[in-house]
Amino acid sequence: MKLRFYGVRGYVPTPDIQYLRYGGNTCCTVIYGDGGELVVLDSGTGFCFFGDDLLAGPHGRGDGELVLLITHTYWDHLLGLPFPGVVHLPGNRLHIYGPDSARGSLEIVYDGLLSPVYSPVYGLAHIGATHSFQAISTKPFAVGGLTIRALPLSRRMNSPIWAYRVEEGAASVVYITDVRYTDEQIWQTAVTFARDASLLIHSAPYTRDEEIEDYGHGRVEDAIDLALTAQVRQLSLFHHAPTRTDDELDALLAHYRADLAQRGVELVLDAATEGPLFDVPASIRHQPSAREVP
Amino acid sequence: MLAPGQTTLNAFLCRVWKMKAARAFILYTVVGVRAANEAVTMEVSIWGTRGSYPVARAEMLRYGGNTTCAAVRVGNTHIVLDAGTGLRGLGDALLSQPEPPRRIVLLITHTHWDHIIGFPFFTPLFEPHTRLEIYGLQRTQASLRTTIANALSDPLLPLGFEDLRADLHFHEINGDGVFALGDDVVVRTAQVNHPYRALGYRLESAQGTLCFIPDTGPFHTVLFGDERVAWNGTPATSRAELSALAQMRSDVLRLAADADWLIYDAQFTEEQYLRFPHWGHSSYSQALEIAEDAAVRHLLFFHHDPHRTDDELDREVAAQQLCTTKLRVHAAHEGMRLSRELPL
Repeated sequence: MKLRFYGVRGYVPTPDIQYLRYGGNTCCTVIYGDGGELVVLDSGTGFCFFGDDLLAGPHGRGDGELVLLITHTYWDHLLGLPFPGVVHLPGNRLHIYGPDSARGSLEIVYDGLLSPVYSPVYGLAHIGATHSFQAISTKPFAVGGLTIRALPLSRRMNSPIWAYRVEEGAASVVYITDVRYTDEQIWQTAVTFARDASLLIHSAPYTRDEEIEDYGHGRVEDAIDLALTAQVRQLSLFHHAPTRTDDELDALLAHYRADLAQRGVELVLDAATEGPLFDVPASIRHQPSAREVP
Repeated sequence: MLAPGQTTLNAFLCRVWKMKAARAFILYTVVGVRAANEAVTMEVSIWGTRGSYPVARAEMLRYGGNTTCAAVRVGNTHIVLDAGTGLRGLGDALLSQPEPPRRIVLLITHTHWDHIIGFPFFTPLFEPHTRLEIYGLQRTQASLRTTIANALSDPLLPLGFEDLRADLHFHEINGDGVFALGDDVVVRTAQVNHPYRALGYRLESAQGTLCFIPDTGPFHTVLFGDERVAWNGTPATSRAELSALAQMRSDVLRLAADADWLIYDAQFTEEQYLRFPHWGHSSYSQALEIAEDAAVRHLLFFHHDPHRTDDELDREVAAQQLCTTKLRVHAAHEGMRLSRELPL
C-alpha cells in the first residue's frame, strides 16, 4: 500500500512561497493498493491535481475507477471534486462514500454545491463519469484487496464527521480530521479505532498553547497522545493552519520530536507533505486477530 | 546676566526656530494640500488572478494562485471586486492600516465558487465597525443574501451571518445599472456572456477608469443565459441568438470604452477555446480584440487557467503584444498595482 498527499492545508489554500514545501492545497490524500486500487480521502482542492495525474492512465481513456471517502462536507474537504477532466469523462466510475447530514444526503449536498448559482456544471446530473453515492456505515467493506472501516467520531452542528481506516496486509492507515476530543468517550473510541495503525493522519492545525478558542480540531498534543496510546507507528500531522509557514512547521516538528526523544518513546512524527509517494510501513504489532475495531 | 555671546546665540537660535516654523508652515500648507489632492487618486491593486480554483503550485506563484479579487480605492471609497481567495490577503492588509476602512463595497460579478470562496476568510467581517455593502446580480431563483448565506452555513461551513460582526447590506442589481459610490466613483454594469449570467463592472472616476470582466465567453459561438448550454458542436445560428450576442458585445464595448485598464477573461489558448466554447471563457486573442475595439489603454489578462504556468503566461503576453500597437498587454499578477502612469 502506497500513499500520496495531494492537499494538506486546512480551511483555505495558501498559494504563497512560505507554504509550498509542505503544501498549500486543501485536504486530499490518495491511497494506492498493491492491486491497483485507488482510495481517495476527501476532495479538497488537492483533488484537482490528483485528477490531472490520472489522465496518463486508464482514467484518461474513460476506463478508470476510484473510491472517494468523505469525512464531512466542509468546503476544504469537498470543493475540488468537479474540476478534473477525468470526472467528466464518460466511462470512468466514481464510488463516493460519506455521511448524510440532517440537511440531506451526501448526494444532495454535492448536487447543491454544483447547482448553477455556484458552479457551471449545473448539478451532479451533468458529471460525465458514472457516479454512485453511498451513505457510509460502520460495516467494513472491501475495495479489491483493501479493507475499509469507518466510524462516526464527532459532529459540528448538523454535520457528522467520520473517520476512516484503510488496511492492506500488515499496513493500515487511519485518517481522523476535524475531530475535537470533547469527552472521554470520543477519546476512547478514537484510541480503539486507531489501535496499532501503521500510519495515523490527524488534523492538528494548532498547539495547545496557540489555541485561543475551540476550533473543532484536536491539538498537536492530542494527536501525539492518541498515536502513543493507540501504539501507532507513524503520525502525520495534517490540515495545517493557513497561517503556519514551512519554517514554523519545521520548528514545531523539531520541538515535539525532541520531546518524544526525551521521553524515550518510539513514534515517527512528521507533517503531511504534498508530492512524494511513499510506502505505508507495516504496523509495530501486526496482530489482525487481536484487533478490536468497533 | 547673559554674556553677549549667549544673547547672540539665543537670537540665532530664535531665528532658526522661526525659519523652521515658517518652513513647517509652508510644508504644511503647500505640500499638505498637495498630499490631500494626491489622496484622491485611483489606486487599483490585484489580490487574486486565477480562475476556476486556487492553485498552490511553485510554477504559478509569480502570477499567483488565488482566485479572482481586485481592490480599488478612490479617496475614502474602498471597493472590492469579487471575493475569490485573494480576498483573504486583502482583508488582512486593510485591517493592518492605521485606520482600517469602516465602509467597504463588494461588487460581485457572479457567485460561482471561485468568485466567493474568499468571503468567510475576509477578516473585516469579524470587526463590529465594518459596514459591508454587497452588490450582485438580481435573480428570481434566490436572493443574493440567501446565496451567500447558504454557501457559508452548515453543512458546507459552520458559519452563519449571525457569527459575522460586520453590518451587511445587500444590493441586487441588473446588467444595466448605474450608481454612484461616494462622491468620486460612478459604477456601471453590463451583462456578459457566461453560464447562468454574470456582470461586468466599470468604475469611473476623475482619476481613472477601470473595467472588470473576469468571466465571459466571446460573442460569436454560444449565447449563455440561465439554462445550461448542451454543446453539440454547432454554433448559435438563430437570428434571435445572433442578435442577442451582438447586443451583448456592443454593451461590453460600451462598458470598456476608453478605459485606462481593462481586466478581462483570458483563460484559454486559441486551441483550448475551440475545445471548450461552452465553458463561457475567452482566449487571449478574443480578449485583445475586445480591448482594441473598446480602445482601452491597458489590457490585463485575467482568470488564468489553473494549469497555466508563469512561463506560458509570459509567452502569451509577448505574443499578443506583437499583434497590437494600440495598447499595452499585461497579465494580471498578484500584488500588481495599477497607476495611470503605467507606461504605454
